[in-house]
Amino acid sequence: MSTNEGNENDSFSVDASNSAANNDEVNTGSVRSGPSNDSEGGSKVVFLLKAAGGAPILKKKKWALPRSKTIGHIVEFLKKYMQLDAQQQQQLFLYVNQAFAPALDTTIGSVNDCFSSEGTLVLHYALTQAWG
Amino acid sequence: MTSLLDDKEITRELWQSHLPVCFILADEDKNKMSRSESPEPLYLMLARHSYFPCFIEKIHRYYCNYFKNDPNDTTNNMNLANLWLEYESIPLKWHYPIGVLYDLYVSSLSSISSHVPWQIIVHLSKFPEGEIIRFPDKESIEAHFMSTIKEADALKHRGQIIEDMQKRDHQQLWNSLLQDRYDGFWKINNKLMTYTDNLQYFRYIPFRIHILDKPFIHKLFSPFNVEEEKWTTLNDLLQFTLNHEAHCEQIANEKKIFNTNINDYRVIIHGIQPSLQSPVQWLSEHFSYPDNFLHICLIEKRT
Repeated sequence: MSTNEGNENDSFSVDASNSAANNDEVNTGSVRSGPSNDSEGGSKVVFLLKAAGGAPILKKKKWALPRSKTIGHIVEFLKKYMQLDAQQQQQLFLYVNQAFAPALDTTIGSVNDCFSSEGTLVLHYALTQAWG
Repeated sequence: MTSLLDDKEITRELWQSHLPVCFILADEDKNKMSRSESPEPLYLMLARHSYFPCFIEKIHRYYCNYFKNDPNDTTNNMNLANLWLEYESIPLKWHYPIGVLYDLYVSSLSSISSHVPWQIIVHLSKFPEGEIIRFPDKESIEAHFMSTIKEADALKHRGQIIEDMQKRDHQQLWNSLLQDRYDGFWKINNKLMTYTDNLQYFRYIPFRIHILDKPFIHKLFSPFNVEEEKWTTLNDLLQFTLNHEAHCEQIANEKKIFNTNINDYRVIIHGIQPSLQSPVQWLSEHFSYPDNFLHICLIEKRT
């Protein structure tokens, strides 16, 4: 898993400022799976976002983020990215293993260390509580 | 892991352990009181394994009494959603068990020798947006609690046991916690302490390591070393986790690499410093919080 599919220009950041956005940009070519899976290492966690429970489907499936970013960061990003605020939709849930929703202050690095499967972390997002 | 019948008593002792907490209204909110007298501090005896949102309505009602003379108060100071708790300038996270917050912050920050009652400042305004999440309703904290148990079971048994349980078993776990019923809780929790996959231990130990000013750390760690055919200890777990985390930080080019020397920390679980030679399987079965996680606080020793 050394490259990301398409959308090189998509940045994953809720921060509107350019400098911060650049910092989080998906860097095609240099991104590897997390340190726990790759002895050469890589500073970002690569993960797949999949829709559940009838949530809108994202064109871009594969994302990468620094390990220190939190689940709350992804939730806020997705709300903006899908323009949920405009639709009066307040809630968005992120699930691991299609089973549980980690606390918002959990870092993506620690989720990846425990719950990536064969080097890939899959997160499901839903607009209503899909599991549990 | 074979455990003596007497060991079960430890879980009862931990269940019964409480913290005296003294809630004091913040000075800036006192000024907004409609009555002339300042509210007395509120003293509560809280179970270490419980959560602040379970008592927040009680705290809120207490301070409401001091505002009720002025029904036209439009500043909305008494909105429950604006309430937050502070200790030594740190806003307290509502979704951590009370005992974990105490062990982490009081041991790390307290400048005085007497730590009880734990003095917590209650704020009714100036909510620290971005630092903590607003106090949710009881349903949200219940959902968080159940989700954490499911996460623990995903580590211990690939989620098989919690999935096989019925909804009413899930509810009994939470309700027993709320109503302080040890037997009701353990009747269900015992099932979560069994083994699957023909193992004599959990697949992985659900644990979190809390260090001041850092997000909690969480790794995959097995309670049994198959190659060496021996139980892994708390010392093994800490060494593995700290080294792994430092390695991750190194790769991420973070400038401040934290201290990985276990001897420089006090290791606290449930207010106790357990032996570092304790097998983690035993700790997981007896020293976990009701959310089924072993919450380990690492307090850096002062030099």
